[in-house]
Amino acid sequence: MSLADRLLGRGDLHSLAAPYALDALEPAERHRFEKHLKSCDSCAAEVRALSEDAVRLAWSAAAPPPAAMRDRVLAAVRTTPQESPGRETARARAPQLPPHVWGTQPPPRTRVSRPRPLLVPFATATAAAALVVASLFAVQANRTQEQLDAQQARASEIANVLAAPDARATAGEDAEGRTIGVVASASKGRAIVTLRGYGELSSGRVHQLWLMRPDVQPRSLGLFDGDTPLIASGLDKSATSLAVTVEPDGGSPQPTTQPVVQLALKSVGFGE
Amino acid sequence: MEADELLVLVAGGDQKAFEELYGLVSGPVYGLVRRVLRDPAQSEEVAQEVLLELWRSAAKFDPRRGSALSWVLTLAHRRAVDRVRSARAAGEREQREALRANHPAFDHVAEEVEAGLEREWVRRCLDRLTALQRQSVTLAYYDGYTYREVAERLSLPLGTVKTRMRDGLTQLRKCLGGVA
Repeated sequence: MSLADRLLGRGDLHSLAAPYALDALEPAERHRFEKHLKSCDSCAAEVRALSEDAVRLAWSAAAPPPAAMRDRVLAAVRTTPQESPGRETARARAPQLPPHVWGTQPPPRTRVSRPRPLLVPFATATAAAALVVASLFAVQANRTQEQLDAQQARASEIANVLAAPDARATAGEDAEGRTIGVVASASKGRAIVTLRGYGELSSGRVHQLWLMRPDVQPRSLGLFDGDTPLIASGLDKSATSLAVTVEPDGGSPQPTTQPVVQLALKSVGFGE
Repeated sequence: MEADELLVLVAGGDQKAFEELYGLVSGPVYGLVRRVLRDPAQSEEVAQEVLLELWRSAAKFDPRRGSALSWVLTLAHRRAVDRVRSARAAGEREQREALRANHPAFDHVAEEVEAGLEREWVRRCLDRLTALQRQSVTLAYYDGYTYREVAERLSLPLGTVKTRMRDGLTQLRKCLGGVA
């Protein structure tokens, strides 16, 4: 404690201003200091100044973020409601998960005025469509007649979705480079979904696709069979996102694990 | 537009303003988180959380309490530090820590040159602090240690570490010529 502190009787708590500005307090101490701050104007002023100093250290660490992060954050923003000032809801205090690990609760309905629709950038939409289409050709080899027939049927269903005037594509990539691609038509209520890079699951486990809507339980859209595109139907306009979880063979009535990936549907015409 | 003005628009639900704000702050946010966490995948995850929180909580920003950038970066730092501490508690990082123990903290990201001049200035100013001031500040800020842990690592009394942190930050401010 400096002599000034002693003379002014500011005591030990005041000396925590610098560690506080550097986030170097343990949670209990942080809490105590924050309480103290409310009644100590000189502390608040000092913390403000020291925090600005600390931020100089932050600024100097700037580094270019991965390009895919931008798409993910902007996609998440389209389906994430904002808080009103000064009123913290229970949800606001819940830990914030990144978009690809949203909890099994559907993302909440947007409270703010409906966001302007954003066009999917042409390159992104094309890349997403290419991802889906490429997987059609990736599964040709070593198939029985029955499988080829099934594939043929699938291909025509996919063609049907792709031909819809409002068919749009989107794709998401996670930190490990695994992708989920979707071509969807809101008017047909259908979507073709492909997964890439998720690898083989141990036996007895499957990837299950879920439709997430506001205020209702996730609805199963089916199970993935390797790289084969999954055709999901009966998507209503209120659908906000798709999520994929790992489930026991045969699937589950409701998700039993955290999603391995989640993709917002706003950009493909849903979430109204 | 400046970050402060953009944040006001973002608080009103303006997604275009958020895109612009993202352009301004995503580099500093990601860089800072990565500086603390080191692991790129975890850093990306935490940076995403922070940027999404920026969108959600924009209305809580109070310009009287500091700049928008300071607000965002304080939030990012808090999240990164929380994460690194729980990871450390889980013992994940011990080995990597040991490997890096011989290098000063600010050499770790030498390859990330984005911040250019500002980084050079901060570095120069850090160099002008006393060794104890510098270590107290960087162990806390860039490595996420609490001041108690810093005291332990530097074998200093708690009071000394608190003073070194405060003096270190104040000297830094003088050297950098006030607030950005």
